[in-house]
Amino acid sequence: MNDEPMTHETARGLAAAYVLGALEPAEEAAVREHLQTCAEPHDEFAELGGVVPYLIELPGLRLVEPPASLRDRIMAAAAADLAERTATASPAPAKATPPLAEAPAKPAAPPPVAASPGPTVPFPSTAERTERTARRGASPLGWAARIAAVVAIVILGGWNLVLQGQLSDARAYDRAVAAVIDAAGTPGSQTVVLTPTKDSHGAGIAAVAPDGSVVMAMRDLPATAGTQVYEAWVIAAGSPAPVPVGSFTVGQAGTAAFTTTPVTTPPGSTIALSLEPGPGSTAPRGTIVATGVSALPKS
Amino acid sequence: MNNEFGPRGRVASAADDADRAVLVLVAAGQLDALQELYDKYRVMAYSIALRITADASLAEDVVQDAFLGAWRNASRYVEGKGSVKTWLLSIVHHRAVDAVRRRRPTVELPEREDVPPAAMTLPDIWAEVAGNLDRAEIAAALTSLSDVQREALELAYFGGLTQQEIAIQTGTPLGTVKSRVRLGLLAMRRALVGTNGDAASEAAGGDRSGDPGGGALA
Repeated sequence: MNDEPMTHETARGLAAAYVLGALEPAEEAAVREHLQTCAEPHDEFAELGGVVPYLIELPGLRLVEPPASLRDRIMAAAAADLAERTATASPAPAKATPPLAEAPAKPAAPPPVAASPGPTVPFPSTAERTERTARRGASPLGWAARIAAVVAIVILGGWNLVLQGQLSDARAYDRAVAAVIDAAGTPGSQTVVLTPTKDSHGAGIAAVAPDGSVVMAMRDLPATAGTQVYEAWVIAAGSPAPVPVGSFTVGQAGTAAFTTTPVTTPPGSTIALSLEPGPGSTAPRGTIVATGVSALPKS
Repeated sequence: MNNEFGPRGRVASAADDADRAVLVLVAAGQLDALQELYDKYRVMAYSIALRITADASLAEDVVQDAFLGAWRNASRYVEGKGSVKTWLLSIVHHRAVDAVRRRRPTVELPEREDVPPAAMTLPDIWAEVAGNLDRAEIAAALTSLSDVQREALELAYFGGLTQQEIAIQTGTPLGTVKSRVRLGLLAMRRALVGTNGDAASEAAGGDRSGDPGGGALA
């Protein structure tokens, strides 16, 4: 990509931006090549690179539960991949991800997305992406239809996944309840019983951890549709304003396990769930479906 | 990369060990192990992808790509190092940034499908220090950043912007952006591993990407 190999000093100077992924593509490629070929120490890459994952904790990351259908899609795609792997397990051409050709510099060429990626790309092929996109538009057809759509070979494996999915829903709820019990057992934790509001469905229990995060296990919630989400709110004792603390979607199972963003939640605070038309509400717009008041355990 | 990571004193928590055990099963092609991994990290993964892409359906694609990537490349990790969480979330982050950049009409990207994120090819102090840190300490480390440093890191990490793009967007000279990025990461590192220079060197473990001598700090 570049005529001259990058000098060691130049590479070192780019360490911070490199580990952050903030270099221009050509610079990034040059640094990567330098790291692979240079025998000098590169301490700053390790030192600064180790810090990067903590940026996830920068304020403002709202925890959002993905749609339940995403698990189905991922498991179906993994099952298809497994079937393909098994079918081609003979010592045929190596499956092991040959490096894709670095996109040759083609000035004014269209982005390489449309190019045929070859049979052994380590990530979903263009065909898979297209199919997924098509599937998302369709109404939820259920496990079997979706899995059959992926590839006929995995039908048996797919049915197995249906059962696993249902079992997994039940297990997920069990685990959610266990998580609440664990959190409630921590000294300083409060407990909340969430009951449905009039004409609504959805009940559960929650524990407010000492850091103010609310661990909740809910059931009987109507499934969300489209962009709908359940948003959790904390109305701190003595404060009139509900604070949004995270949102999640609910599948057909009607259960949810969720841990909210920590906010100050003194005893006597109200925890509420509302069904919102989409994520990102700063004040409840939709229906409040369940509420409860936090309390310290009686000793 | 065939890095060899020495047996340094890594503080591996029980959770890390459990994750590694699950990943071994993922590498062996166990679907339910993948599901377990997904269920454990789906909220973090999706939240990061959503924050970066600001597009729910793109975020779903990113998470799917990332978990399939993990599914197919789990054995690569097993040969590697560090916490599974960091590895997984690095893949999510990397793919989300790629997705955002690809969507932008002005940027022409080289195909990066086969390139692991930088954090995957580097020694992992996360795993070494994570056992000793709680959220409050991490939050404290983040408050050691100045506002402009935090903004630059946020635009790069969650916005997927390059330094040049940050310079343009914030109307700041490129050189200033570069030093904010660098000093910001250094400040976080100091706060996370302590101000003790020796401890910091120890935690970083020197260079492992090709220096046979074990990489004494300069």
